[in-house]
Amino acid sequence: MISMHKRHRLVAVGVAGALTLALSACSSGSTSSSASGGSGKTAANLNFLGINENKTIAATLTTLSKNECKAENAAQPLKISNQAQGTLDQQLQLLAGQGALPQLFIAANAPSLTQQLATQGSVQDVSSALDKLGVSGDVLPAATSVIKNLYNGKDLVLPTELNIEGIWYNKKILSDNGIQVPTTWSELVAAFAKLKAAGVQPISQAGKGGDGWGVTRWVGDYIARDLGPTALQDVRDGKAKLTDAPYVAAANAIADLGKQGYFGPSPTSIDYTTALNTFLTGKAAFIYMGSWAVSDFTSATENKIGADNIGFMHFPTVDGGKGTADQMPANVGTAVAISAKDFASDTATQAWVSCIVKNYGTVALRDSGQVTGFTVGSGVTVSPLSKLVQDEIAKTTTSILWFEAYFSAKATTTSQNDGGLLASGQLSGADFMSQVQADLGS
Amino acid sequence: MTTTTVATRRGPAPARTHRSTRRHLRRIPLYILVTLLLVVMVYPLVWILLGSFKTQDEFLNNPTWALPHSFFNVSNYGDAWSSIALYLRNSVLAVFPALALVIVLGTAAGYALEVMVFRGRSRVLMVFLAGIMIPGQMILLPLFTVYFKLHLNSTLWPLIITYTATGLPLTVFMMATYFRSIPREVFEASTLDGASAIRSFWSIGFPMMRSAVFTIALVQFFFLWNDLLIALTFTTQDDLRTVQVGLLNFTGQFGTVDYGPTFAAICINMLLVLGLYIFMNQRVMRGLSAGAVKG
Amino acid sequence: MNRVLGDKRAILVLLGPALLVYSLVMLAPMLWSLGYTMFSGSVITGFSWAGTKNFSTLLHDPAARAALVFTLKYAVVVTVGQVAVGYLLSLLYVFFLRRASGLIRTLVFFPVVLPTVAVALLFQKFFEFAPQTGPVNSLLEALGMHGVDWFGSAGTAFVVIAVMDIWRSMGFYAVLLYAGLVDIPEEVLESARIDGASGTRLVRSIVLPLSLPVLVSSIIFSINGTLKVFDSIYALTGGGPGSGSTPLTLLMYRTSFFYGDYGYGATIAFGLTLLSLVVTLFIFRANRRDVTEA
Repeated sequence: MISMHKRHRLVAVGVAGALTLALSACSSGSTSSSASGGSGKTAANLNFLGINENKTIAATLTTLSKNECKAENAAQPLKISNQAQGTLDQQLQLLAGQGALPQLFIAANAPSLTQQLATQGSVQDVSSALDKLGVSGDVLPAATSVIKNLYNGKDLVLPTELNIEGIWYNKKILSDNGIQVPTTWSELVAAFAKLKAAGVQPISQAGKGGDGWGVTRWVGDYIARDLGPTALQDVRDGKAKLTDAPYVAAANAIADLGKQGYFGPSPTSIDYTTALNTFLTGKAAFIYMGSWAVSDFTSATENKIGADNIGFMHFPTVDGGKGTADQMPANVGTAVAISAKDFASDTATQAWVSCIVKNYGTVALRDSGQVTGFTVGSGVTVSPLSKLVQDEIAKTTTSILWFEAYFSAKATTTSQNDGGLLASGQLSGADFMSQVQADLGS
Repeated sequence: MTTTTVATRRGPAPARTHRSTRRHLRRIPLYILVTLLLVVMVYPLVWILLGSFKTQDEFLNNPTWALPHSFFNVSNYGDAWSSIALYLRNSVLAVFPALALVIVLGTAAGYALEVMVFRGRSRVLMVFLAGIMIPGQMILLPLFTVYFKLHLNSTLWPLIITYTATGLPLTVFMMATYFRSIPREVFEASTLDGASAIRSFWSIGFPMMRSAVFTIALVQFFFLWNDLLIALTFTTQDDLRTVQVGLLNFTGQFGTVDYGPTFAAICINMLLVLGLYIFMNQRVMRGLSAGAVKG
Repeated sequence: MNRVLGDKRAILVLLGPALLVYSLVMLAPMLWSLGYTMFSGSVITGFSWAGTKNFSTLLHDPAARAALVFTLKYAVVVTVGQVAVGYLLSLLYVFFLRRASGLIRTLVFFPVVLPTVAVALLFQKFFEFAPQTGPVNSLLEALGMHGVDWFGSAGTAFVVIAVMDIWRSMGFYAVLLYAGLVDIPEEVLESARIDGASGTRLVRSIVLPLSLPVLVSSIIFSINGTLKVFDSIYALTGGGPGSGSTPLTLLMYRTSFFYGDYGYGATIAFGLTLLSLVVTLFIFRANRRDVTEA
């Protein structure tokens, strides 16, 4: 009875499966040529896959297509489509699985995925592409070094952003409370205690879901200051574990801030927007943030405390630590990768890339105040805060990466999701590190 | 507890004309309950409506329950409409064909499985039932591959096809249940008059199921209309987005939620579906009463 | 007559299209994915044979165990909540509001229509603790209690998830069950009343047994939905705080599409499918026995 039942079902299913396979087999012969846009021929459009969360790149590319890259756009019109950032990695995997990546796309949230795509041959090596086009001089060496740092020595993305990170503070709150800008960790913690006693929320930081990166940045920077700028590379290379005492001590330092309530009430329910708004409405004294937020700082509608009321300080040194304050956390934020297959064969796409590299930096800075890793033409006037960022980048000799930069996608998710619990004092440093290390190991 | 009192209140029509004050008093807890129910259901909806008139600044810095500064702040609607019109079109184009297919194919299959006589029909029903248990995530990757190979990935066909298939198990299962409740003699008698099985399905079976069809159509409509997972995976282009995926799109730089336009878009969606629901609801009720007359 | 109702060609015409679409678009991909459970890797890194490694990982994975516990807890609480509240509402419609129930039925049904993203946004705001105090915490404070950081711990976040999903789907189950209740012939109820049955007894001995089939369908339907919950949790808590509210579906989604381990993701999904199957068969069997005994 049971066996008959099973056999019947298997037959039905087998037929269905065969049909599906037959259907896909029939068509696969004809797909390869059109999907890749034809070898040696040019594709109809320059497709760019962007994310909803970043409007600057799409806007800058659109501007380029109308002005500086008009000719390239006529040959291969720009076509932009967008994904939610949260689903970008999924979409890239699906598209890459079919060999159907667009010519230009936002690099995956997880650097490890972009590396996998490069290993598989889907992502173009940028340095060799720029050499081929003769535009290598238009990318800042600082940006290239940050990218290589991130992708394990490979240059895989165009630096459409170049960000530095650090602690931004509300000048008025500090002076009202008689606080000097701290330069060491103990001074900073003392300042937090003083502010808390005065009824001011010391730090505004998001800890909701994936926005917990705001909190884990503190952990990563503390590790760099305490153990030196290569401490996280040691973890990647297997020379150290996050569960080793010095690493746990760093997580504990942040968990202690959480236990004291310095991150304000309920950091686990604060998202990025809210955290930024709390700082920009003068309700918190400090925020750890990247320079991409300068456009928010200079926006009159968002910023209620005035742009000249915002100061920037380097992440402070830790007493007896190996790191120094001038080792700057830097990243290329939302960067753009090039599809290797299309770049190799499509001259129209090559022309586009060349034009982007030459002009992107100027347009992004002029129109959006975005500092990029491209050279900038003369005559662009910038806000004082953008100027500050440019100066800091110019001064940087050693850059460091964020806490999760070398992690797998899985460990990254765990770390960022647990960040909020660290800030709310619900998770000890040791537990945090052992959870992340467990996912790193697998 | 409350329901017990309710149950006893059901009586023939004449009794209602002689309601006493005592009965009214005994009903007070129920009136309170219904009022409470309405508050719990309606207040959040009103809140969304109010939200659609607020500016981003009001959302971030004013208390959650505050009224909007101005009810004439319709700029959110302008922002929302410019993009949601396209999303609505896509949703309609993807959901309605799929809905029609689900109903026709599902009812026919339900009829075949419950009224027709053949070996192994209960097994086929179980195979359909198994479909209710398959997690949607499990079929995404193979389907993506196939749709891509068939060049369907820049059309709405993947949505229509996938929606039809995912809607079938429940529809077949429920239709079979409904057909089971109809005495077999009805169908046997119709075949005695010389009608073929297919004719008897179209002229007797399908019309009889009118109320069930509307109920299931309603259920499936909301499932398909609110689908996020499938639409998110198969719509790689902006101009193919459905309303649900589009709503995720009202987020600005770095995940900033643009609350005002989002709420305005939700309101537009809500009003349209409300209209549709009221229309469908009347049909459902008419179908139900028609069924009662027949019974 | 049996010949007409047993007509092979007619059966093929009626059943064939549905079975074909269903097999091609659901069963075949399902089996295809099932094949992946024997491999590790993804479409990008390529697949490599893993044998039964994925299954042994599943048995020892603490994250999978936590997700299983959460899924079961969620499924039981929300299914019971949805169907019980829905049933009470349908009794309210049929026996108390009767013909006047149209408007209320519509209003209570309405949240089903709202996009998940919208409902999640709504509940985030309503249960907000900081920086602003949401209506729920305001109410608690007005009643002299302390506000609760609802999304701050897994336990309270679970409460909000359950309340949200019951709130938004109870009207749906009410309508579904209502359709079953109005089918109960008035005469049956009348004669039971004449026999002296009233109140709880009437519901327990007449209404409940007669509406049992539709009640069981509702439970099966609900439990299969709640075991596979994805959208609402994804939109409300994203599985947080930490991973405190991560169901199997979300774990599977992350494993497959973010961690790039499609084989293990498919294994988790397969486990979930088995779980749904067992639960459904269990309810079916229990119901069958009930009917035959009665």
